[in-house]
Amino acid sequence: MTRGRRRSAWNYLFLAPYLSIFLVFLVIPLLFGLWISFQEYELARKAGDVPQFIGLRNYNDALHDDYFWKALWVTTKFVIFSVPITIISALLISVGIESIRGKREQAYRVAIFLPTMITISVAGILWRWFYNSEFGVFNAILPVKVPWLLTPNWAMTSTIIMTLWWTVGGPVVILLAGLKQIPEAYYEAASIDGAVGWRKFFFVTLPLLRNVLLFVTVISVIGAWQIFGQPFIMTAGGPERGTLVLVLYIYAQAFNNFHMGYGAAMSWLLFLIIVVFSVIQFRVMRER
Amino acid sequence: MRKWSPVEILVFLVALACIIPVALIFLTAFKPDSEIIQFNGFFPHEWTLTHFREVLGRPEEIPIFRWLFNSVFISSSVTLLVLTVDSMAAYALSRLNLRGGKWIFAIILATMMVPGQILLVPVYLILSKLHWLDTPWALIVPAGAGAFGVFLLHQFFKGIPRELEEAAMIDGCSSWEIYWRIMLPLSKPALATLAIFTFIGSWNSFTEPLVFLDSVENYTLPVGIALFQSSYANEYGLTLAASVICTLPIIVIFLLFHKHIIKGIATAGLKE
Repeated sequence: MTRGRRRSAWNYLFLAPYLSIFLVFLVIPLLFGLWISFQEYELARKAGDVPQFIGLRNYNDALHDDYFWKALWVTTKFVIFSVPITIISALLISVGIESIRGKREQAYRVAIFLPTMITISVAGILWRWFYNSEFGVFNAILPVKVPWLLTPNWAMTSTIIMTLWWTVGGPVVILLAGLKQIPEAYYEAASIDGAVGWRKFFFVTLPLLRNVLLFVTVISVIGAWQIFGQPFIMTAGGPERGTLVLVLYIYAQAFNNFHMGYGAAMSWLLFLIIVVFSVIQFRVMRER
Repeated sequence: MRKWSPVEILVFLVALACIIPVALIFLTAFKPDSEIIQFNGFFPHEWTLTHFREVLGRPEEIPIFRWLFNSVFISSSVTLLVLTVDSMAAYALSRLNLRGGKWIFAIILATMMVPGQILLVPVYLILSKLHWLDTPWALIVPAGAGAFGVFLLHQFFKGIPRELEEAAMIDGCSSWEIYWRIMLPLSKPALATLAIFTFIGSWNSFTEPLVFLDSVENYTLPVGIALFQSSYANEYGLTLAASVICTLPIIVIFLLFHKHIIKGIATAGLKE
């Protein structure tokens, strides 16, 4: 009995290294961030400047900050357009690849996943050059001149297109794995019932893929709310703040202006938005 | 050769659209400036090494070898750290029947849904208290907190038959010996997948090094390259040559291990 107990106490040592990092750099920051959001926490301003508890004032400030609302609106637009475009494209691509058998199937998968492997600074600079209105690749190839990054609406559109290229690979790979799990017998049964092509897709594939689709959508929405690198590199939030997304604004407030408390409060607002969105998605997509 | 269906032609075009931008990084880096400014086709008419010479030959302004070294050092350290702590934790949680183990695992899994950006400000302040800002530690140690590896290895360990362990236990092996001599050698495929994922993720990570590093010589490659847009905004040749140096190692790893990588993503996605 004692031996056994001693042994099990030693066994906790296996957990100790991971759990200490997990606590210090994940659990504590989560709660610490909430605590900071109730403080006036100005970093490196004056020596001896002590953080002060100010209750909900940071949150109140955010709700009266035009730039916060602007950033929220810009990010919402991005989520609303980017996620459905990415998921529907991924769905069509994966169904397309699934219909191809043999060696070429894996080649297509690799090709479509390749952009995901490029770091955002390289990808962003590359596409900034594609979009450049004087000597960019797109305007050199296309018959019309498009002000890709020069007007707010075009800049948002360009960001969505670039994001589609950069992120579609992940959902494609996951959806393909989901498609492989659908038993062939279901399609055969549908064929016997006279279903062809699109009918099979809508009455067999989609319903059976629903859970995977839900997972991929939730992950994409969470990712889309946190968009940062694309506008940071390609547009710096412009023009006319047309691509000033929330995380970019949080970054500017926290790390350029050193308003740590304000940055933390806006981070928590973003967190709440993401939680609410995820819960709604689970409700809507599960129940149907 | 088999005939191409219309669907396959569409898929082929999409695949092409995905590859061409990546290929353009490499092809354009060898173009002279005149051909970059006036786009004249995908392949250079005149191949040149000017941009590479320039990007490698100005170590005071562009310390690209330092960035390369920093990236290699940080990504390797993160990979080693993650493999070590995650495999130990996953072993304990999947095999040792710890009291409260289920709860601990559930909490760890739940944090996979926490958006990373929300941790930026508090982790920055914690790192500043530890005096780790602007050092590699700021990027290495916090990267060990992720839940993905624990989850992946936990799933894998569960599938290893218990008989092996029981036999070893009868022979008087401690749990440390079982972990080291049985679980780790049997889990090589899962460990390899996790290693590749972690290395690529760390190599490509952008926001953390951008926020936690300050001095140019401490930058990693992705942040170093981002610096180009402020200093050499429209010198795309120079930037793309640096991008080749940053991207090539990852593309090589990806092409070598694409089966591992794609399978890893697929399993992680399906098992939720």
